[in-house]
Amino acid sequence: MNLAIESRDLTKVYGDKTACREICLSVSEGQIFGFLGPNGAGKSTLVKMLVGLLRPTSGSASLLGRPLGSLEARKKIGYLPEGFSYHEWMTGRQLLGFHSSLYRLDGDSRRRRIPLVTDLVGLTGAAGKKVRTYSKGMRQRLGMAVSLLSDPDLLFLDEPTSALDPLGRREVREILLGLKERGKTIFLNSHLLSEVEMICDQVAFIKEGRIIAQGSPGQLQAGQMVVEMQVEEVGAGLLESLGRVSEVIGSGRDTVRVAVKSSDQIPVLAETVIKSGGRLHRLAPEKLSLEEIFVNLLREGD
Amino acid sequence: MLTITFFTIREAFSRKILLVSLIMAAVFLGLYWIGVYYAARDIGGSQNPALAAVIYPQLLLLGLYFGGFIVAFLAIISSAGLISGDIESGAIQAVITKPVRRSSYALGRFLGQAIFLGLYAAALFAVIYAITRYHTGLELPGGLRALPVFALQPLVILAVCLLASTLTSTLAGGALVFMLYAVALVGGFIEQIGWIINNLYLKNAGIVSSLIMPVDALYRKNVHILLNPAAKPVNALQQMGPFGSLAEPSQWMMLYTLFYVALAVLAALYAFSRKDIG
Repeated sequence: MNLAIESRDLTKVYGDKTACREICLSVSEGQIFGFLGPNGAGKSTLVKMLVGLLRPTSGSASLLGRPLGSLEARKKIGYLPEGFSYHEWMTGRQLLGFHSSLYRLDGDSRRRRIPLVTDLVGLTGAAGKKVRTYSKGMRQRLGMAVSLLSDPDLLFLDEPTSALDPLGRREVREILLGLKERGKTIFLNSHLLSEVEMICDQVAFIKEGRIIAQGSPGQLQAGQMVVEMQVEEVGAGLLESLGRVSEVIGSGRDTVRVAVKSSDQIPVLAETVIKSGGRLHRLAPEKLSLEEIFVNLLREGD
Repeated sequence: MLTITFFTIREAFSRKILLVSLIMAAVFLGLYWIGVYYAARDIGGSQNPALAAVIYPQLLLLGLYFGGFIVAFLAIISSAGLISGDIESGAIQAVITKPVRRSSYALGRFLGQAIFLGLYAAALFAVIYAITRYHTGLELPGGLRALPVFALQPLVILAVCLLASTLTSTLAGGALVFMLYAVALVGGFIEQIGWIINNLYLKNAGIVSSLIMPVDALYRKNVHILLNPAAKPVNALQQMGPFGSLAEPSQWMMLYTLFYVALAVLAALYAFSRKDIG
């Protein structure tokens, strides 16, 4: 399968701060790729290097088989910036017309694409209004429309649903899944891990400018399991005993959640509860969510 | 590049700063018209041609000097954020990630703004010229040659604004260009005084200020084009005031001005092509 994005040791240094360090990524065409990390980890810096806003300090990358900065590649790329700020004196339709000109879309393409994308993001009724009158959510929808204008093969979305309500988020998810069905590649920066988990084929975690894990959600979840137990009167002694055989990731008055490496550890957990004098009412193994993997990864090394 | 040029022209016409500048220009032209009208009426009735020969050109110079000031004000206010404004608002991010070269973007912004400012300056010059000509009957044969020189003043300011807006914030860039403009104006006055009292230091200070920003030199050139002292002996007398020009800026200074604009634009293109936009 061809690679839509390939980066080799991509690094960005600001003074004495390294925002991204030797980032190596391979994103195959037709995938939805989730890029995750805490605030300030370097997510947006990487996207900005890939779309040409920032100059890498070292390393190289290619998009759709062409080097960074290639105008040919940019014709096939859509980008929704995190700030989604647009020229407020224009109407939504004028703004889309302006961006169509930047893409050099011909008259027929414009007449076809502008109504199509405004309809897709649910802005048809507001397309004639000035951008300055738009709400935050409408601006984000407009940004989405701009990014989809050229029917791009590769779409970079930086926090595309941050200003949307749950219904709007679902609509964006559906749009992204529809694009994936048409073979488009989507690079998604998001804090909303549940969303990423729902739609992404591959994910990568970045921390302090370094990629600390990458793979499919299934691969990252493999070998990591959470067991939730219902126990009468969870005490400090029980938690201490469980901590010796697993990692306690949460507890309530009568529930304990622990992370285990494999299902072989489940009988050991039951045995530990009983040996500690606890009365076990329920034991339910679950897969670790992407959010829990994310939190665990961030804690590691702290 | 043309897309960005047309976009910039549309943007210029849609901003509130245009309305403010039009109001300023209307107030200024209204006052100027009142001044010229009453001066022409009284001097015309006094049967004193010497008085007319001194006062009418002074009125014209006053109009051109402060007309230039209004154009400069518009140029600084509307161009200080030509690129930095879009960077600060974030609007540039969705634009320069399109298949557009950064140099095309910056050059398109410059050309669009240059067309807008050039038209504004030309219109203002034409109205000042028409008011003066109509009420005083003053012979101004160099009008067509003076117009492009007048319109070049805001382009000098624009070129520096473009460079500043690729290097620093809108506020810092605007303040810097305004200070450079002030240096040029003060330098122009100092040079004029230097010629009156024949002081080499003052003359050189004026020349240096014109090298820093050659807007005052353009104004003084225009004074010579419109009121050529060689044409009429009385015109030499007219050049004595603060708005006159006792020494005509040379053709080298005009060439330097064009080189100055080109260099500032090229430096802006280079700086912008290497700029990180975060």
